[in-house]
Amino acid sequence: MTAVHDSPGSLDQDAEPTAVVTVSVNGAEVTGRVPVRMHAADFLRQRLGLTGTHVGCEQGVCGMCTVIVDGEAVKSCLMLACQLDGRAVRTVESLAEGDRLGPLQEAFAARGALQCGFCTPGLLMTATALAYQGGRPDREAVREEIAGVLCRCTGYEPIVTAIEEYFAGLPETGEEEENART
Amino acid sequence: MTVADLSRSEMDRPDLPARGVLGASAPRKEDHRLLRGDGAFTDDVQPARAAQMAVARCPYPHARIVSIDTSRAERLPGVLHILTGADIRETTGPLTVLRPVPGAPELPYRALADGVATHEGQPVVSVVATSRHIAEDALDLLDIEYEPLPHVVDTMEALGPGAPVLQPAVLDSNLLAAQTDRRGDPEARLREADVVVGARFRINRVTALPMEPRAVVAQWRPGARMLTVHASTQVPHLVRKQLAETLGLDESEIRTVAGDVGGGFGLKLGVFPEDVLACVHAMALRLPVKWVEDRGEHFRGSTHARESVHDYTIGADAEGRIVAMMDRYVTDLGGWNSPFGSAQLSSVVFNGPYKVHDGLVERRVALTNKTPIGAYRGYGQPEVNFAYERLMDMLARELGADPVELRARNMVTQAELPWENPAGAVYDSGDYERCLRMAAEAVGWSRHRDAPRTLREDGRIVGIGFSSFVERTGYASSRFLARRGSRFGAHESVTLRANRSGGVDAYTGVSSMGQSSETAFAQVISHVTGIAYDAVRVHGGDTAASPLNTGAFASRTMIAASGALKAAGEEFAAKTRRIAAYALGCAPEEVRIEGREARADGRTVPLAEVFTRALTGQGIPPEEEPGLECTAHFEPMDAAYSFGTAAAVVSVDPVTGEFDVERFVLAHDGGTLVNPAVVEGQIRGALAQGFGAALGEELRYDPGTGQLVNGSMMDYFVPTAADVPPVELLHTEVPSPVTPFGVRGVGEAGTIPPAAAVANAVCDALSAWGVELFTLPITPESIWRAMRAATGQEAP
Ligand code: FES
Ligand code: FES
Repeated sequence: MTAVHDSPGSLDQDAEPTAVVTVSVNGAEVTGRVPVRMHAADFLRQRLGLTGTHVGCEQGVCGMCTVIVDGEAVKSCLMLACQLDGRAVRTVESLAEGDRLGPLQEAFAARGALQCGFCTPGLLMTATALAYQGGRPDREAVREEIAGVLCRCTGYEPIVTAIEEYFAGLPETGEEEENART
Repeated sequence: MTVADLSRSEMDRPDLPARGVLGASAPRKEDHRLLRGDGAFTDDVQPARAAQMAVARCPYPHARIVSIDTSRAERLPGVLHILTGADIRETTGPLTVLRPVPGAPELPYRALADGVATHEGQPVVSVVATSRHIAEDALDLLDIEYEPLPHVVDTMEALGPGAPVLQPAVLDSNLLAAQTDRRGDPEARLREADVVVGARFRINRVTALPMEPRAVVAQWRPGARMLTVHASTQVPHLVRKQLAETLGLDESEIRTVAGDVGGGFGLKLGVFPEDVLACVHAMALRLPVKWVEDRGEHFRGSTHARESVHDYTIGADAEGRIVAMMDRYVTDLGGWNSPFGSAQLSSVVFNGPYKVHDGLVERRVALTNKTPIGAYRGYGQPEVNFAYERLMDMLARELGADPVELRARNMVTQAELPWENPAGAVYDSGDYERCLRMAAEAVGWSRHRDAPRTLREDGRIVGIGFSSFVERTGYASSRFLARRGSRFGAHESVTLRANRSGGVDAYTGVSSMGQSSETAFAQVISHVTGIAYDAVRVHGGDTAASPLNTGAFASRTMIAASGALKAAGEEFAAKTRRIAAYALGCAPEEVRIEGREARADGRTVPLAEVFTRALTGQGIPPEEEPGLECTAHFEPMDAAYSFGTAAAVVSVDPVTGEFDVERFVLAHDGGTLVNPAVVEGQIRGALAQGFGAALGEELRYDPGTGQLVNGSMMDYFVPTAADVPPVELLHTEVPSPVTPFGVRGVGEAGTIPPAAAVANAVCDALSAWGVELFTLPITPESIWRAMRAATGQEAP
């Protein structure tokens, strides 16, 4: 057995280039120093403790790491933490109000849209970002929109139903604009 | 229905739950935390000062490790510890197998390759550093010299003459073992048969691909002699046993914890090399050591499944009655024997739902220079179903018979059950024909049967195909397992403990991996005791906080656990009633437990008070012992057989081979349903995996280089939301006579029929050309090639 470098002090000080980022995460501003090669998912999970964002492939394929950056769903494993500088991130941890689940989360529970739950945060954030676009996608459109997030447990049907019901419960885009104006 | 409504007030028929909390789609206990991103998956365990592990893997399918020089890697700042095969040989024993191949010699292997590596991706060196980045940088600085050895990746070639032998110290060929089950004289029956159909069926190599990769966090406190291992596993108590054996520790020195598990499907059964490595590093460094598998490693260093070749023959008389069934098959084991090894259930249910006296099934296990094969949902049953159900359709064509009627004529009838098949499996109960008829009717079979298979307006031809199956769920007792050499039991266990808040804490070794065990267990407890569903909390997966159990696999959890939950629940309720009666001044028989209180004759006492009395010993009957905690174990004596029939409606373009599954109906019986919504979820999920394996997934090896050519999610296509065909589910509910509450396992059924049903539909559509499919996956290209072959044209 080869024991080397018995200086555990170095545990906290990765000897590699770092950068300072300032980012709004779920409405709170965070400033921190990160290694330049750390990706955004690791930053959220390891530096901020927001472990609801999952990592399944680190290749941009599985969608487990999907979060919302400046209003758009992105795969946070394909982004560097430094690239978050000056931007607003929303993660699954923001969806409940206190202990009350949000309407999309309620729809998932009611429809049996999760089993192991590993894919769930990615799907919730994808559907949340979809709602920002307004409109009311039909089942086929929902299927296409969430095809970037894999689920190995459910067969997707209940997920599509839950998202469809969530959209049905949203105010019409027109109404929303109406409300915004008044 | 609200949660409160679910608490069952009647205890009239605890055996056959028709209503109440058992049999209701209770809201899942697991959902709230998972929906909030508050699950506790293994990578979410982040101990302070944890060091990170990375693993160097053999890039060749078969190679001798000539030398390893770690000096450059050691000098990289941040690198803490490096292990090679020589270190591992000194400090650990071989990894142990849970389900050895019956009759086979042991093939010991260690956490790091010891001299020779037998598959691409086998761990060779492990490095621990202050960050994963640095650990991976260090891998690039390792100087490992390999001498590539001749390799073989094709299953049948591995058994042929001249193939390089993988384990020359133990074997003189790559045939690890052969095992035959037989009854009667099937060879003679085949010679006498009026019609014989047979073919070679090739089943593709696939992988379970749970969305959460494997992961482990090991922590060692030398003074306490305590190794705490968080791992993403279906079997925490078995992992503890295997780690103790491999590391030379007492079991008491190890605690294994499986928090939330992001999908298992059979892949996360038992100890993998990286689990051992993380422990050895942690013990040497006295630091927490974490390893999280990346997807590239997952495709090469976890396990694959299903790859097999079946030579199957069926003989029948002129009326279409089956007289013999014979399956000689080879399963590919890969480079070594993973804890569960290759599938064994192809043998157990080789004849499916069909009644046959004379039968033979021969299983041969072949070693190849590929990633080891492990368990995967279905464990041999989808594979053999593809073979016998394709042959049933070929037999129907040969006889000019209706494939539905041919199936019906040969199915074991309700009156004949229980019935023992030629392999010794005892089918318990059911109405197989009913599911067949339901599926046939749902897709309008009788109309379709007589209609010509002509082009639709869109240039497609529509075909309908069926697949009928039985599914072995659970294990037939520890005696059965002992005969097969398995090193685990058949029982489940649970501890119920009262708490002063008036609720019940249930402790189980079963970890939560999406199968909804917390929900289902709480339902059974609530049903048996009368205590409110939402007053029951299930704690799973921690070996330090649960009675010893077996684990979550083989669709066995609910069958075995139901018995333990029932026994513990009854004892718990009886004592609760005795103490409540003392408080209320009445007889225990008068007390009913309802929700969060006990009542008798219009008076009530809160369970919080009853349980506080019990836990303090203050205010309980003088002859009563203090405390309220009940542990029960249960071992089922028999397996229960689920069954069903699927029907696929497929449209095929006869020019290009393009096809779509336009409808897919599954009529299925899962016995008594503890939670119908959960059961439906299990079936839909398993079907999606079945479609994936039938229609697209295939791990391909290049025969020349022995490399896995599509080992990433970019090249290995699992179904997305846009790919899963529309599914319609029909249920019958025949309670099993051999299990508590009449439950059958439901976790795996969906994986079984998709391949055969879709292939049969394609062949039905193209029957004018005489197209028959023998190979999985079914793709436009494979159909196009089969068309060319059937019409005598060359295919490039
Ligand atoms: S982890 Fe980001 S897409 Fe898979
Ligand atoms: S619920 Fe397990 S991957 Fe989707």
